[in-house]
Amino acid sequence: MADSANAPKPSSSVKLVLLGEAAVGKSSLVLRFVNNDFQENKEPTIGAAFLTQKCNLPTRTIKFEIWDTAGQERFASLAPMYYRNAQAALVVYDLTKPTSLVKAKHWVAELQRQASPGIVIALVGNKLDLTNDGAGSGAAESGDDSGDARKITTEEAKTYAEEEGLLFFETSAKTGYNVTEVFTAIANAIPETSLKSARGPGASHAAGRTEEQRVNLNGPRDPNAKEGCAC
Amino acid sequence: MLNLSSFVQKAQQLLDPTQGLNLTDSDRNPSKASLFQNQFRLPDSQHPLFEITAELTIPPANVTQGGKDRDGGYHYVGKLHLSESYLCFSTTPSSFLQSASTSTASAFTGQTHGGGPSGNGFTFPLCSIRRVERLHSQNFQFALAITTWNGISQEAGKDKDKKDTRPEQRITVQLAGTRVACERFCDGLKKGLRAAVGSVGRLKRVTGECYSEYLLRPEDKKNAAAPDAGLGMLFRYPGDPKKLRDRAKMRLWAEYLRDNGRNVTLIRQPTFHKLIRVGLPNRLRGEIWELTSGSIYLRLENPTLYADTLAKFEGQESLAIDEIEKDLNRSLPEYPGFQSEDGIGRLRRVLTAYSWVDPDVGYCQAMNIVVAALLIYMSEAQAFFLLSALCDRLVPGYYSTTMYGTLLDQKVFESLVERTMPILWEHLVKSDVQLSVVSLPWFLSLYVNSMPLVFAFRVLDVFFVEGPKVLFQVGLAILRINGEELLDAADDGAFISVLKSYFARLDESAHPKSENPKLRAVTRFQELMVVAFKEFSEITHSSITELRLKNKDTVLNNIESFAKRTAIRNLGPDSKLLSTAELGALYDRFYGVLYERQQRDLIFKQDQARRRSKSSRPRLADVNDGHDHSVEKGRVGLGPSTSLMDYDAFREFLAGMARWAISDSPSTPRRETFPQDKDNRGFYNSFSRKSDASLLSPWGAGPEPADHEFLQRLFRMWDVDSSAALTLQNVVTGLARIKGKRDILGTINYFFELHDDDKDGNVDREGILRMSEALLFLSRRGLEGSLSPSNSTISLNGMADGGMNGLTNDVPGQTVNERFLGSVSAFIRRCFEYADPDHARNQQQQYFGGSRDTQQKGDEGKPAGGDELADPDAFAIGDDDESDDDLLMMDSPTGSPRAAKRSDTSPSQRAPSIRLNSSTAPSTINDDAASDRRRVSRAQSEKANIALDPSNPLHITLPTFRMVVLADELLEQFFESSFPASFHIIEGLSSSAQTPTSSTLTTFSSLGMGAGRAVGAAFGGAASATSPAVAAGAGAGRGLRGVLDNIVTDGMRVAAEVRRRMEEAQKEIEKNALPGQRVNDDDDEEDDEDVGPLSTGGSGSRTGGGAAGKMTVGGGYGGDPERRSVRSSDRDLLNGADAEASDVNLVGLGETESGVGRNRGNSDASGKSTAKVVGVEFDG
Repeated sequence: MADSANAPKPSSSVKLVLLGEAAVGKSSLVLRFVNNDFQENKEPTIGAAFLTQKCNLPTRTIKFEIWDTAGQERFASLAPMYYRNAQAALVVYDLTKPTSLVKAKHWVAELQRQASPGIVIALVGNKLDLTNDGAGSGAAESGDDSGDARKITTEEAKTYAEEEGLLFFETSAKTGYNVTEVFTAIANAIPETSLKSARGPGASHAAGRTEEQRVNLNGPRDPNAKEGCAC
Repeated sequence: MLNLSSFVQKAQQLLDPTQGLNLTDSDRNPSKASLFQNQFRLPDSQHPLFEITAELTIPPANVTQGGKDRDGGYHYVGKLHLSESYLCFSTTPSSFLQSASTSTASAFTGQTHGGGPSGNGFTFPLCSIRRVERLHSQNFQFALAITTWNGISQEAGKDKDKKDTRPEQRITVQLAGTRVACERFCDGLKKGLRAAVGSVGRLKRVTGECYSEYLLRPEDKKNAAAPDAGLGMLFRYPGDPKKLRDRAKMRLWAEYLRDNGRNVTLIRQPTFHKLIRVGLPNRLRGEIWELTSGSIYLRLENPTLYADTLAKFEGQESLAIDEIEKDLNRSLPEYPGFQSEDGIGRLRRVLTAYSWVDPDVGYCQAMNIVVAALLIYMSEAQAFFLLSALCDRLVPGYYSTTMYGTLLDQKVFESLVERTMPILWEHLVKSDVQLSVVSLPWFLSLYVNSMPLVFAFRVLDVFFVEGPKVLFQVGLAILRINGEELLDAADDGAFISVLKSYFARLDESAHPKSENPKLRAVTRFQELMVVAFKEFSEITHSSITELRLKNKDTVLNNIESFAKRTAIRNLGPDSKLLSTAELGALYDRFYGVLYERQQRDLIFKQDQARRRSKSSRPRLADVNDGHDHSVEKGRVGLGPSTSLMDYDAFREFLAGMARWAISDSPSTPRRETFPQDKDNRGFYNSFSRKSDASLLSPWGAGPEPADHEFLQRLFRMWDVDSSAALTLQNVVTGLARIKGKRDILGTINYFFELHDDDKDGNVDREGILRMSEALLFLSRRGLEGSLSPSNSTISLNGMADGGMNGLTNDVPGQTVNERFLGSVSAFIRRCFEYADPDHARNQQQQYFGGSRDTQQKGDEGKPAGGDELADPDAFAIGDDDESDDDLLMMDSPTGSPRAAKRSDTSPSQRAPSIRLNSSTAPSTINDDAASDRRRVSRAQSEKANIALDPSNPLHITLPTFRMVVLADELLEQFFESSFPASFHIIEGLSSSAQTPTSSTLTTFSSLGMGAGRAVGAAFGGAASATSPAVAAGAGAGRGLRGVLDNIVTDGMRVAAEVRRRMEEAQKEIEKNALPGQRVNDDDDEEDDEDVGPLSTGGSGSRTGGGAAGKMTVGGGYGGDPERRSVRSSDRDLLNGADAEASDVNLVGLGETESGVGRNRGNSDASGKSTAKVVGVEFDG
């Protein structure tokens, strides 16, 4: 990464893996983040899908190499292949489905034990649009109002996340709420040191350099401030 | 051994029996049947019965292409095979000849190398043969003219005119062999044909769904609707038919089919394989897939399975269905058929039906994509059976719950890349690109999602006929063609994008700049196929198989460790009470037991099957050889994996880690108390002669587990959902409550709960007795954990019970185990003392329960020991038995029904009862008798005890129980430490130097008593029956005592070690003494030597005791016969050592510190009482 060091804004790539129970919206989150799009029927992920997206931070640019894994239980045994060397992970649950948080906790435990040390993990409760506070702030505690599909309170998940030292967000891939914030937060949380040594020398240079430079030319884009990383 | 087995056990579980064919060891030398089935893609029901060299002659009318022309026909020399319902011919020497292993076979099995229907020939279901005539031939002894039902369904209408238009399919086969061989073959064929007559209707139905029938129908009859050839008929087939030259292909196929038979009557000639390579025409594609994959034979076997399955499970829900439902809308969504309800409905039905018939696979993502692809070209039923052929044979394990097949083939693929493209491989390693992240979807969805559909289907065309090696060849070709670009790609992203763009341009010219127009016309896809099948022609079915075998262990171990990690992590909050190491060990033990049991069961079944087949089937001798082989490997028919533990498995499981769970009576027919299991039992014994004894003993190499009521209670307690089976979760939760908290109150509560049958917080009289029995059961091999060596317990006891006080304190040398028996005795007494009176209502129940549970008593001796312990002095008087008898006499007339029943057994009761009653001074009679009654003279004790009087029902509550337990230091320690510590989760029993059998022999608490009795018997033959016996018993006990005193400080470990080594010496068991574990000093060595004789004496005596016990109980105890047999068999174990033992025994007892008794540890408890007496006799 010696070359990027010369650039006004250093750029580096970060391997990020998405994990979580089937149909919690992993692929949708990625789709929202990468293409700012939402599809009701996405092809199921076989093994894993690979996408990239850049995220501009004030001081640097992060290129996410996103591994979006299959959620079906039996694919779990493939997961180590994908989270190998990952510097960040998005563990997604469906906040209308309690079992998905259980599964998410399993993933967190797995990552903490098996993934690279120092991996940045974000716990993400997706499908906020199905709850009453869907459009509002995710911090609002849901009551038992009718029509609220929420089954996992913000507090419960947040407490857990704090215990485990995870970033925590509630999002809606459908509305786009909080999606880019997740990725921005992760980008911010990645320690500089791990960026330098993240990939083997030469890795991602050939493919990534031109794009990165282009991004750098664009500089910090204010119009994108809201969407932070979408480009 | 457990570690070793647990190592593979999970892996084995993963190997579904049918799916694992290519993974098992037996594949190195596969059974002939499986090779035969693979070669002709026949169902598992088919076995090669007869085979003979033959020449196939196809008459000129049928000839399109083929071999050399000679006297007006085409001739192929090959082998003709007959199975139960198929007649097969192949020119490629079959890979399933007896001598052939896969590797040797591959040299001459042609294109598919044994992996599919290769070469020229046919695979006729016998029911498709209309007529076989024997021709006279000069060259050969036998020539058969075979006429098929080719075109059967169209003939159905008007046979007669049809015949005019087309000659029937008639081929000749000349058999080359001895006359006998030919005749045998023909006889077999005749039989088969006769049996197949009934299936002609079924055949008609099956072929009726084949498009070829419609295609070849004369024009005038085409008005009937064409058979379903997939969604493509409604929504168009993918690709441009013109570009695909679909019409031309169709014409070629029509011609070929006309000449060579259609669907099941098709004859494979060289053109057949060529036609497949150029791509199948849309409407015939489904049918040819069905034919080459062999799924049509599955359909023929059970044509209605698909419809039946759907009907049977209609409206039912399952996890698989939920998963399927999620993916229906996203399976080949770009194809219009799957944007329609029709297409989605078909997909739903096929996936659902398959998930029902193969619940082990259920539904796996990617199956939706593959099935969607199939449905474009075939009907639902066809797709259903083809999916089945895929999962079972073509891509085994790909879609299983662990996807081991997928992972394994990725490993295989990687090693192929490394081998064939070392530079690229090096680059991948260097730039840290993991190949399988790219290639996994290729294999998993058979390229359907990776390439444009038209090309993916071309790959599938070849894949179905030539097998999984095609996937590898294509994958390698992709990498080779893109090699240079890939060498420039430095990370996963770049790597992926190179391949993505390659796939997108498959239809472009491979050589756009070439001068040569022909070369320019070659598309990238064509280039890919050429590279795949030419450059990588060395990739064969057998080379794949070899690599699979090589990588199997690694892959399975990875999966296993992942599965274990996951399983343990997911065990829920209870598991937090146990350490990670404990959980890991539990996991291994749990699945280890299940696996081993499955293995034993499997071997047993194979043995059965083989014998059955031997007797009833007219097979070639070598068929059986194949079977034998698989039996030795023990893997072929591996039962479907289970994660449920039944009661017997549970016993075995516990016996692996808790000493008390090991049977005292090994080698007895097990489960006599469990009638429902009896059947299996006999089988195991009956065939144990022929194979490895350790595998075939019902308990494998491990110790035979005990079967005590306590185990049953524990099982029921852990079986929270009353499913009669435990999951790992159940086991962990159950153990966590005992072992996890280390909380004495918790353990006490647990123990109480365990005996509170109706969960009303009360434990009645029977319950109290059961509790004490359980305590004795658990302690009979000694107590573990940290126990205070002080005698304070005893004094405490003494305080509580004045009568005993002085006595116990008089015996300073008591071991903990001895004292524990006293504690149990006191426990019973106190329980009754503090019990609350019951309501009359419960009375009857008590009776009921009481009689029931008595049957399960196996260890009547223990309580006796307990009593003696409690007040050893009582024994000083040898003639207690008289009073005993008196009691009995009194009992018999007056007692309750139960009592009466037992009273007639009084003679035999004597020995045990001696001590019982001796301890029961009139004043304390209630308490002591309570404990006594269990084992021996229940009647008498009941009589004697107010507490036991059925007319005074009573119960204790948890607080009472707790109080009683806490009143006794030893009991308290038992619950605090000993009981939890008795589960050796991690280290198991072997490491604690516990050899089950030996411990069985020596430590049973009744042993000491038994020894006494036996000795008594030896002596007493002459003397009066009673008092000498007592004296002798005392003598024996004394010896034991002395020994015990010596070793108390060494602890149970040493004792166990000595016991173990003694047992080695006796039985020459292979288990090597662990030298490292020899803690012994010289004394121990001596003890060791002494032990031999003593122990034998003990066992002998035990036999005697057992007999006595049995008689005592007489009709009252159902369990007795078993008990007796147990003992005598024990004796057998000792191998005649008994004889000498009885003599030596006394010597040992008297003179040396004879390590014997001490080994017995707990057993001495009983001996201890006698010790007192002995002390007088010997010491004095």
